[in-house]
Amino acid sequence: MPISLPAPCWQYDPAMSARYQIRHLTRYVYAHAAASGRHLAHLTPRATDWQRVESHTLRVAPPPTENDPPQTDYFGNTVRRWAIGAPHRELEVEAVSVVAIDSQAERWSAAGAWEDALAPRAADLVEFTLPSPYVPLIPAAADYARPSFSAARPLDEALHDVARRMRTDFVFDPAATTIATPIVDVLRRRRGVCQDFAHCLLSALRGLGFAARYMSGYVLDESGARGGAASHAWVAVHCPTVGWIGCDPTNGKLADLEFVTLGWGRDFGDVTPLRGIVLSHGAQQLSVSVEFRRL
Amino acid sequence: MLQPLISHYSLHADRYDELFEAKGKPRAHWVRMLDELADASAESLESRLGIVERDVRDSGITYNVYADPQGAERPLDLDVLPLILPADEWAQIAAGVAQRARLLNAVLADIYGESLLLKGGLLPPQLVLGHSGFLRAACGTRAPGGVFLHSYAADLARSPDGRWWVLGDRTQAPSGAGYALENRLLIARLFPDSFRDLGVARLSGHFSLLRDSLLHFAPPGDGPPLAVVLTPGPYNETYFEHSFLARYLGFPLVEGHDLLVRDGRVWLKTVEGLQRVHTILRRQDDTYCDPLELRADSALGVAGLTDCARRGTVFIANALGSGVLDSGALLGFLPRLSAQLLDEALLLPSVATWWCGEPAALEDALSQAERLVFKRADPGFAFEPVFGPDLTPAALARFKLDVRAAPHRYVAQELVRVSQAPTLTPRQPALLGVRGIGLRVFAVATAEGYRVLPGGLTRVAAQAEPLVVSMQRGGGSKDTWVLSDDSADSDTPLLAPGARAPGMTRRTVITPSRTVENLFWFGRYGERCDDLARLLRVALNAGLQEKDPTALPLAELGMRVGLSLRRDALAQDWCAAATLDLEHGLPANLRQLARVAYSLRERISLDHWRALNRLAQDPALGHASTVAEALEWLDRVIQMMMTLSGFALDGMTRDLGWRFMSVGRRLERLSFSSLALNVALEMQDSENLAWLLELEDSIVTYRARQMGRMAWSSILNLLMFDETNPRSLMFQVTGIHDYLRKLEAALGPCHAASTEPLVAELRILGTPGDATDDRRTRTIELLRRLRASAFMLSDNLTERFFAHADQPASTVLAV
Repeated sequence: MPISLPAPCWQYDPAMSARYQIRHLTRYVYAHAAASGRHLAHLTPRATDWQRVESHTLRVAPPPTENDPPQTDYFGNTVRRWAIGAPHRELEVEAVSVVAIDSQAERWSAAGAWEDALAPRAADLVEFTLPSPYVPLIPAAADYARPSFSAARPLDEALHDVARRMRTDFVFDPAATTIATPIVDVLRRRRGVCQDFAHCLLSALRGLGFAARYMSGYVLDESGARGGAASHAWVAVHCPTVGWIGCDPTNGKLADLEFVTLGWGRDFGDVTPLRGIVLSHGAQQLSVSVEFRRL
Repeated sequence: MLQPLISHYSLHADRYDELFEAKGKPRAHWVRMLDELADASAESLESRLGIVERDVRDSGITYNVYADPQGAERPLDLDVLPLILPADEWAQIAAGVAQRARLLNAVLADIYGESLLLKGGLLPPQLVLGHSGFLRAACGTRAPGGVFLHSYAADLARSPDGRWWVLGDRTQAPSGAGYALENRLLIARLFPDSFRDLGVARLSGHFSLLRDSLLHFAPPGDGPPLAVVLTPGPYNETYFEHSFLARYLGFPLVEGHDLLVRDGRVWLKTVEGLQRVHTILRRQDDTYCDPLELRADSALGVAGLTDCARRGTVFIANALGSGVLDSGALLGFLPRLSAQLLDEALLLPSVATWWCGEPAALEDALSQAERLVFKRADPGFAFEPVFGPDLTPAALARFKLDVRAAPHRYVAQELVRVSQAPTLTPRQPALLGVRGIGLRVFAVATAEGYRVLPGGLTRVAAQAEPLVVSMQRGGGSKDTWVLSDDSADSDTPLLAPGARAPGMTRRTVITPSRTVENLFWFGRYGERCDDLARLLRVALNAGLQEKDPTALPLAELGMRVGLSLRRDALAQDWCAAATLDLEHGLPANLRQLARVAYSLRERISLDHWRALNRLAQDPALGHASTVAEALEWLDRVIQMMMTLSGFALDGMTRDLGWRFMSVGRRLERLSFSSLALNVALEMQDSENLAWLLELEDSIVTYRARQMGRMAWSSILNLLMFDETNPRSLMFQVTGIHDYLRKLEAALGPCHAASTEPLVAELRILGTPGDATDDRRTRTIELLRRLRASAFMLSDNLTERFFAHADQPASTVLAV
């Protein structure tokens, strides 16, 4: 069911802005026909003050027997729910979105000393300071991050530094972990994928006292960025003066123009791109592909 | 003679005594009971102790503990003496608990609704947002009638000055009310005179309220309201209570995979198709209730249930997410919340409690840690209470560091020196002892507001010197007698269903698919146990004679039904099959029968459950027995199986479930008897066939018909073709055919026609006439086909009606 949004009436500046089309295809093949399935997806890009969603369509095959209109979840993300009541051997979910993004780099450069971001905060930020199901607070994580936070260092600079260090110290290795691998193991073995690195960095930042949230979306892989073949994950840290600063430990940079945001939450569990319960015996085979094109 | 009875009863200066005001001076509300105890002979007291012990064991009242080395079930200790509370004292408790329920419901409605308490700073955000029971997916829940907290329980204790305090709130799926009722059923009849004279408030009215209110809050649509009791299954620690409640309330007991969501509503899978479910009395932790939106790592529960809760199409008692209040952390904030939300002062005080997530409270609590108990603030945090007084200074210092590392997870609470109550100690002579007690009190939301169960579950400490009382720690329980001034509430007789509003009654019985599957297997296992016990008995009796010609066919039959025997089996091998835990042996099958019966406890009468339970715990089991012991044991088994079939005939409604059970019994008998006849025909020329008649329980019929010398033709007539002999093959096949026809009328095709050729062939073969070799061959062939048909029909029914009940659900996650 497509969500069509009005075309933007805003001026395009290639240095400060970017437009992308993303095609995100998820395909399940079941060894035995699934009797039925019920799904929940966070696959619709979120409209924010730096990101416009120009168009978005979500196609599900076989066609759902129940299909709910888009809804907003607890964190304000768009969530889609559907069910397939008939037996099926395959499930295909295709999300095609066109988004336009403004750079935030200049705004972020005005962030003050990182210590100022630890001040007492409003109730709705509190939950991004607490441990969450995928992000226990591990002292080793905070210890790892601490050297980047030297006294009075600007927050954006400190975040960039810790991201760069993680890019060097951690090996991107899709075979090393599953989503069930605890971050203690990721920290010890220093291997994993973007979700793992985001969770580790969240544990570190929350352990240091920041409000930090998990960001789900896509990264442009023109320059060989890691995590481009599937959906991507990074973090954002709250700064009282400049707002949320995106930070990508997988690619060692602040998350700006090359990052398209689907949504955010405390961790992967809050914004899993696609989850479902399927009644079926036997194995299932999953393939995911993301095509990310600059317009 | 009271004096000897209380010779070991001691008062403690620093504790409230429930029985005595002062030494030698009993409290007024205990006098009547003390008189009865004083008048009772030592024998009568001991006999009452014995009755309770037996009852507890037989009814299988258990409080399962997953990791209990004693296995899945452990009898719950129940003390003979009730706790007695006077009317005026109770009135205060009841008012306080009802008010608290009202307050907590308002807090829940706010947390999952407008969230004004958090925004306005009346609750620290971390207390809610950091609690594992706060379910973000449940935000926006539309609770029918505004009732989030339908059932509520408060844990109370009494301090030395006689005041009652709340130690904790149970808001998720409070257990224990069923135990309270069961305790009452056992204890009231031991003291009928005191019970009557004291005017003890009845509990049954409360359970009618519970049932009516569950239906009252049911959202409209799709016919009369259907309520179900949702259980995690027989391995849960409070499964006994789930089945007891379901049976008592008359609601189907279901597991998550019995339900499904379609079009934003919840449905129950029944053999007749999907039935809309309006109300779920949930006895399962909420995080396990919806694998799609709550815990993704568990496939338990009902995918999409949270969505239905947000749509308001199902009344869930209690609402998903109510566990967020299952935290001592809230206790300290309640007076303020009560003033804000209810504009009332809190009637029942909480024990002084510090939530360590607040910096000031943390320092306050740590400064006096040596006199406090520390508990977890969040049930998601595995942590046993730590008692300050038990710790050495070094250990205390270490513990304080732990608390500082994650303060919001801890609650510190003042230690209450709980009151003590009399118990009747189970030794000779029976004496009054003392034990610390706590009281769990239950409230339920009704159309007229919260009502409190006039009684409760009194929990008894395992040792004489307890500081806290908990069921998980191996303590026991007591009945709780609340004395009432008026008899108005005792009008509802115990065990009578309450009146229901017109239009709320269902005309048809709901039969969940899983129940039907269990009933089918209950029929099969019951029959199989009966067949095996008879086979073993015949074999052991035969073995008593030297060189018995029937030994060979019996051993062959035993082997073919799966017993671990050899052709030259000796008496001891047969004994082993009777009492030892061997594959396909009698005990193994009895265990299967008990397991299925356990899952059917809401359908099977308590009496039968007790009898079966007694059999499963028979002392003859588990060790090698003599022939005499084994025979005696087999007699008991056969008697029990006769009782069960009597129950099936006399005690069960002729509904769909009953027909499936009957088909199961007949199929099992058909397969066993055709095998027995087949073996006999193949292996035995001799006409010493008494064993076959004995095996088929047809010896009396045979003699009554004066069939004279045992001859194959007359035996085959009786055991195969005689439609009037309930043991004959013809009787089984025509019965199966009739039942399947009746099932077809309700449910559509059930393979009834597949039995018709078998009936026809039995008729042809049974026509008197030739007794040639050809007839013998044809008979053997038919017997084989009968047995194969029994297996095939069982498979067909399983596939048609049962298979979808346990279809595995798997979680898919994709990035």
